[in-house]
Amino acid sequence: MSQVLILLRKSLLSFWRSKAAVFITFLVPIVLIYLFGHVFGLYRSGSGPAGIPIAVVNLSREPAAQNFVDALKAEKAFALITTVDLGKGATRPLTEADVRSDLHDNRYRYALILPADLIPENSLGVHLKFLFNPRNEIESQTVNGLLQKTIFSNVPQLLGQSLQRNAHRFLGDERFEHFNRTIANTVADNFGGDREEIYQRNIAGDFGFANLQGSNRGKADGQNSAASSLAGSRESATGDQKPADVFSRIINLESEQVAGKELKNPMAARLVGGYAIMFLLFAVSGSATTLFEEKNSGVFQRLMSCPVRPAHILWARFLFGVILGLVQITALFCAGRVFFGLDIFGHAGALLAVSLAAAAACSAFGMLIAAIAPSAAAANGMATFVVISMSAVGGAWFPVSFMPDYIQRISKLTLVYWSVEGFADVLWAGRSMIEVLPKVGILAGIAAGVMLVAVWRFNRGKLFD
Amino acid sequence: MLSLRNVTKRFGSITALDNASLDIAPGEFFGLLGPNGAGKSTLMSLVAGLRGADSGTIEFGGQPVAGGTGGYRQNLGLVPQTIALFLELTAEENLRIFGELQGLRGLKLKAALDDAFAAAQLEDRRKSLVKTFSGGMLRRLNLVAALLHRPKLLLCDEPTVGVDPQSRNAIFEHLQQLNRSGVTIIYSTHYMEEAERLCSRIGVIDHGRILALGSLDELLTKLPFEDEITFPANSGTAQLAAQLAGSGEITAIDGTHRFRPRAGYPLSAFFTLTEALGLPPRLFISQRPTLEALFLHLTGRKLRDA
Repeated sequence: MSQVLILLRKSLLSFWRSKAAVFITFLVPIVLIYLFGHVFGLYRSGSGPAGIPIAVVNLSREPAAQNFVDALKAEKAFALITTVDLGKGATRPLTEADVRSDLHDNRYRYALILPADLIPENSLGVHLKFLFNPRNEIESQTVNGLLQKTIFSNVPQLLGQSLQRNAHRFLGDERFEHFNRTIANTVADNFGGDREEIYQRNIAGDFGFANLQGSNRGKADGQNSAASSLAGSRESATGDQKPADVFSRIINLESEQVAGKELKNPMAARLVGGYAIMFLLFAVSGSATTLFEEKNSGVFQRLMSCPVRPAHILWARFLFGVILGLVQITALFCAGRVFFGLDIFGHAGALLAVSLAAAAACSAFGMLIAAIAPSAAAANGMATFVVISMSAVGGAWFPVSFMPDYIQRISKLTLVYWSVEGFADVLWAGRSMIEVLPKVGILAGIAAGVMLVAVWRFNRGKLFD
Repeated sequence: MLSLRNVTKRFGSITALDNASLDIAPGEFFGLLGPNGAGKSTLMSLVAGLRGADSGTIEFGGQPVAGGTGGYRQNLGLVPQTIALFLELTAEENLRIFGELQGLRGLKLKAALDDAFAAAQLEDRRKSLVKTFSGGMLRRLNLVAALLHRPKLLLCDEPTVGVDPQSRNAIFEHLQQLNRSGVTIIYSTHYMEEAERLCSRIGVIDHGRILALGSLDELLTKLPFEDEITFPANSGTAQLAAQLAGSGEITAIDGTHRFRPRAGYPLSAFFTLTEALGLPPRLFISQRPTLEALFLHLTGRKLRDA
């Protein structure tokens, strides 16, 4: 054991003396976490996309169409473009030809046309044209979803008008009036309000009841009440509901955040945990490849001529990886604390257990790379490929739930997945030491299994020849 | 002290050491002379116990060395061919680590470090990072790192490669002093001058085979001539060169004739001939043949060309 400790001390000293290694191990990931924090908007008060340029051409004369444009302007995700600059401060409204040309020229990637027949006479629903340049599929889908949300959440009268027109067409004048009078009377009788006013609003397609007495606001203490439109759920941070949103009453989806409520910055837990593991893998893989350098420099010859066995060298290197990993993870979580307010001290014991197990698994992985690779250069190349793949698949960059089913199944085979999940359990869900033990056990199992394979490979390989 | 019997080591299809047998007595300064790739480092690594032989036995004090980690290795010091040091650490940190690995602690370790730095003439560079050292300083530190635990057997695998003459002399003197103090040394080199200067006994090795074994004098008796005579190659000596052709080996190199008389050829006959041709004695230089000549004789190749 003393030989292992002497060699371990040597590795720690060598590491500390190598300013480049220290810089790459600690400063680079901290700087990157800081930068990616900005990239993912972790420093903003809200989250989600912002300022996506979208051109809007409004050819409709419906008053609700302008309401819809105004609602889009109010949506922080979008930066609306509605006019063409003619110079000297003069502008004119965009046309469909303008936006088609601009989309081709990639001046912006999305355009929404509100055609003259926004509310078609012969069919139910709203007619919109969404033009896009699909340079970014994820962004396209996000924009599409946000548009639908805006329609259903903010301008339901568009749909109301469509419903009314179709009803008018099917029922005829007399029965249509009778139908709306009946509805208005029923609403007034049950919820209060002026019968004529309700009737006129029904005719206009505005089914909002917010100004009526007894409206259900659905807010509970400590809970965020959200209402879902037909198109999907809408979450309200404050519990307030838009007055005109009748569709939110049709499906009343009450949602409650049960974990991570107290987190200042929920996404930071994943970002820091994921990047910590990825950089730890790079660090221990790099340190394991120094085995080749020591072999080539003749240091192994000298060590082996002392009372030192290969096992001493390997275990010292493994322990060095564990200690390096633990220190690196601690440093990165401390940075996470400073940058994003991560609560690392409230769950220090559980966090230490997950970190230790993750560091052991990463260190064993580094040993395996050194055991399999025929040279330092091959080990570096192999490590880069495997670390990046494993980080992507394992959820270090973004949640595995975004990935296809088969990738999600594969991700469970990676130590990155279990490490990131372990960190999330502690930092996001606030789980206790006992509760994270299964994931700690899996990581420890991975460490033991990988290390066994590595030692087996070392014994069959030529590193100590 | 050390005994190799019919030792063979192969790497794939290459036989690095072929049926080598060797005995080295305590206190001996044994040289292993051969060109690069001759099998010197393989023999050293087998003696150090770093590898096992495919066949044959290697014993130290009657005990097999292969797989031994305890007693044998505490009696063994290895100076690898390369600079086997941790370049990011200071000289003292390096020696402390190797000393501790050899089991030295406390005052013993401190005394060993002091002695080592004095021997390497690096007292004032103890706290310097090794990566800042010159080639000669690295070689000296590389040597003393193997001596901290005062080994009985020191294996030096070409320890002066790339060293300036001053550092080389310092290393030689230190090794000779060690040897005088009773340390048995096996010194591998491809420099015949080093083997001639340092070693009491020399093994000539090539292609994994030990071709000759003995003291310098014993080895040179294997040559078919005892002396080597050189003289200028010009029109005045052309007749002499022609007449010597039947009396031994005569070659012309770089404007010089080299005459190696065959066994039994009396030097008096040579000088009688030169006198008869009217050539003055100052033209002729007679010298003892070198290991280079022996290697050429044994292998048909020059040591440095091999």
